[in-house]
Amino acid sequence: MKLIKKNKIPFLVLLTYSALLIFKTEIAFKAFDNSSYYLFEMFQILPVIFMLAVAIDVLIPKEWIMKRLGNNSGISGGVLALIFGSISAGPIYAAFPITKMLHKKGASVNNIVIILSAWAVIKVPMLANEAKFLGIDFMIVRWVLTVISILFMGWFMNKLKIEIKGNEEKVENNLYINEDYCIGCGVCHNIAPKLYHMKDGKAYIEKPISDIYNYQDVSIHVITQTVEKCPSKAIIIKNMKETI
Amino acid sequence: MDFFTDGFWVISVMFFTIALKKDKNKVKESIKKTRGMMTNMIGDIIGIIFLIGLLLTFIPPETLKSVLGSNNILISSLIAALVGGVTIIPAFVAFPLVGSFVDAGASIVPGVAFLTTLTMVGFVTFPLEKKEFGIKFAIYRNALSFVFALFIALMMGVVLT
Repeated sequence: MKLIKKNKIPFLVLLTYSALLIFKTEIAFKAFDNSSYYLFEMFQILPVIFMLAVAIDVLIPKEWIMKRLGNNSGISGGVLALIFGSISAGPIYAAFPITKMLHKKGASVNNIVIILSAWAVIKVPMLANEAKFLGIDFMIVRWVLTVISILFMGWFMNKLKIEIKGNEEKVENNLYINEDYCIGCGVCHNIAPKLYHMKDGKAYIEKPISDIYNYQDVSIHVITQTVEKCPSKAIIIKNMKETI
Repeated sequence: MDFFTDGFWVISVMFFTIALKKDKNKVKESIKKTRGMMTNMIGDIIGIIFLIGLLLTFIPPETLKSVLGSNNILISSLIAALVGGVTIIPAFVAFPLVGSFVDAGASIVPGVAFLTTLTMVGFVTFPLEKKEFGIKFAIYRNALSFVFALFIALMMGVVLT
């Protein structure tokens, strides 16, 4: 049941296909046939997206993305987002993992909207195609209007203060470091290097941990030890049990 | 594969290799993270792809003729934008299709509205977008795209006639 709840879309589609297969076999096959083009497209593009997401994660430092695509990147950030979205290939869902990665690394909502929209609408090979069938004037005017609209949309969504909140980020975090208190001594990192990482003279925890009592990499005793040893008491456990 | 997808492959492989050379462990870590994110999405993506196949079967591209050819430009543009938002057909099919209407003397406004919402508004991918970016973000982005598609279409009608 949990599996179905988690995969509502594929499940409903599978159900529809099964019903069609029984009652209208021909239509089911035709629909399957129509899907094949998109399926092929997906297998062409997903490995690329995967590699690119990893490469961005490893090669481009957070500070660079924050500076170039972050909240204060201004017009040049918008232009960069526009170019990045335009030169990429693949359908809009292919843009989701990449833009999420960029957002986690500090890209602003404004620029995420620009990348997503440009990724969807402005495709360089498609522009050639458009010019061929609808004329070059048509293509250019539509391009200019689209770019203006996309930039405005990004700005507007930023103004509305709309935040990006994915489902998986709802994990309750029960262990965190108070950055204001952390003096970057590295004691916690030395005790539990798998859990605490050091960056820019501060300790940080990579992903939220909901259950510190059954955390696979580090035992609770080690975690409480780091809490005690921290000289500035910057490591905080929420929902602490009375007895350990 | 078209030229651009090829290029995208080449660039990604190149950057991926550079990343590997620079820091193998970090790549391993990142692969773990990215794989988690992608496996989260892949079930939905495949579901959506088969949903597109169903939609294409029940609403073949030819039915658009009746939508784009209507007399009242405002109403037909609105409907065209709606249809574009709901359906997904390859752009290389959409361009010749719209081109044939314009050649036949139809107004370009509904055609442009259709072309723009076709790619920018994703009714079918909405559940996935909602899951990944949050419901508020997905609603605003799609609604704004819809409004701007109409704006682009009307402006084109003004500029090009």
